[in-house]
Amino acid sequence: MAITIGVLAVQGAFLEHITLLRKAAGEITSTDLSFNFIEVRTSGELYTCDALIIPGGESTTISLVAARTDLLDCLRDFVKVERKPVWGSCAGLILLSEAANSTKRGGQELIGGIDVRVNRNHFGRQIESFQADLKLPFLDQARMPADAFPGVFIRAPVVEKLLPKVEGVQADEQQVPDSVVAPSKQAKDEKAQAASSGQVEIMGVLPGRMKRAAEKGAEIRASEEAGDIIAVKQGNVFGTSFHPELTADFRIHVWWLQQVVAAVNR
Amino acid sequence: MTINDNGTATNGTASSIAIPTSSSNTAATTNGNNSFTVKAGLAQMLKGGVIMDVVNAGQARIAEEAGACAVMALERVPADIRKDGGVARMSDPELIKGIQEAVTIPVMAKARIGHFVECQVLEALGVDYIDESEVLTPADDTYHVEKSNFGVPFVCGCRNLGEALRRIAEGAAMIRTKGEAGTGDVVEAVKHMRTVNRDIARAQGVLASEGEVGIRALARELGTDAALLKQTAELGRLPVVNFAAGGVATPADAALMMQLGCDGVFVGSGIFKSGNAAARAKAIVTAVTHYRDAKIIAECSAGLGEAMVGINCGSMAPSEKLAGRGW
Repeated sequence: MAITIGVLAVQGAFLEHITLLRKAAGEITSTDLSFNFIEVRTSGELYTCDALIIPGGESTTISLVAARTDLLDCLRDFVKVERKPVWGSCAGLILLSEAANSTKRGGQELIGGIDVRVNRNHFGRQIESFQADLKLPFLDQARMPADAFPGVFIRAPVVEKLLPKVEGVQADEQQVPDSVVAPSKQAKDEKAQAASSGQVEIMGVLPGRMKRAAEKGAEIRASEEAGDIIAVKQGNVFGTSFHPELTADFRIHVWWLQQVVAAVNR
Repeated sequence: MTINDNGTATNGTASSIAIPTSSSNTAATTNGNNSFTVKAGLAQMLKGGVIMDVVNAGQARIAEEAGACAVMALERVPADIRKDGGVARMSDPELIKGIQEAVTIPVMAKARIGHFVECQVLEALGVDYIDESEVLTPADDTYHVEKSNFGVPFVCGCRNLGEALRRIAEGAAMIRTKGEAGTGDVVEAVKHMRTVNRDIARAQGVLASEGEVGIRALARELGTDAALLKQTAELGRLPVVNFAAGGVATPADAALMMQLGCDGVFVGSGIFKSGNAAARAKAIVTAVTHYRDAKIIAECSAGLGEAMVGINCGSMAPSEKLAGRGW
């Protein structure tokens, strides 16, 4: 079986994701399985994909450029109607959220797919960008090496609210001042519905104490303290506010490829 | 499976920088994590995008709506600096604050070569990137700013590989070609990009045929650090993100620089000195995304109105060229 995985290449760090996907694919040993990794700039390229990564970059740029062609609508179909596996990092997480605030004047277009509200540039400007060790339980559960994951946060968003699962658009969120919401789309069949139903799972948090210590440039370690939500999953749509693609650590890429293989076989 | 547990190592363009920037000096930084991964990381997020020169909040909004991935704040665009003459300096902080309030994309700003206090001021203002730029009048004719001491990352211009690696050794986390700003003539940017590419190919050849000894000799010739040169030869590209700058005026110019191997494009006077700034800005952004698709470039280039008038670089005296500033 050949699985085609696209990385959205409108703008941002798409080559970095492809590099790590290639390394991660080497860890998945199966004789009748092969991966094909492609850059996606057009709807035609998207149609060939079984799964997609939306990389870090500028979310306003990515949505504006995608909206100039039929690509933005096709992305919404890919995520919400077809419900194929998707992962967004940083800007990708913003685009995959059903609601976002702190967007540019006049708001911005979202794809949606995860029932959360994100706060863009949550930590502030570049001078507040930082790196911190993360404890990610889902890697342990997948029997990966248990070392802390190097979390690189660049003008990063956080998930500030988990939203209820609703029919149609997140109408309550539309009433929140300066908040934008994604348009609603109906999943095409039972399989797609199954992949989109269910609650949002919190896959990783950044303890508040740790964040403040990181801002001071201190050596920091993850703790059990509750904090900012920086990784979420709902069905087969996954988002991280940090950038695994800026490290050499491909554990999350291996984990995600395993998820994709399972989803394609389902 | 084996995992590289060194959190500061990165893949792709900025892989494991040979210089120990994160530990070099933290005294000058106020807060934030001063690691090179974090500094170079923002440049990686800008790749495949267009960074536009703006002089006020209104222009910054036009740039953001056109899809710019960042804006560069400066007091006058290079074409006006050329025309007006006099000393060109960092922007008024009031203007920079106005631009920061107007947009949510990263805001960069220019400081004069060697003027580390302008850089301190820009860092205090919270700009996202500093361009230590030859477009402004140099403040020091011997030293560039020691950039690794700052928490805010820097981008610097280059004409060749030696110059690029000297800036990276000083702490620059992003490089751009110098080109010839304010002319609308892309010839110098092309020359600088081709020179960098040629120098890298040469370093690769030397590493393959002569090894370390050859790299050390070439480093001496180029006036740069041997470890960084070796790393560049191994990667087959600069160890940080490299944008085109200086003379880009049309969507085709931008796509040309992308096809030559640039990671993204700065556009200065080319947008706000043209007939229809909003349409041209949008078209250049589209051309950078679809830089290999001539049909899309043809579509987005149509009916943009007048391009900036431009100055032919071939008719300029060497003393009129800004690219000669810095070393």
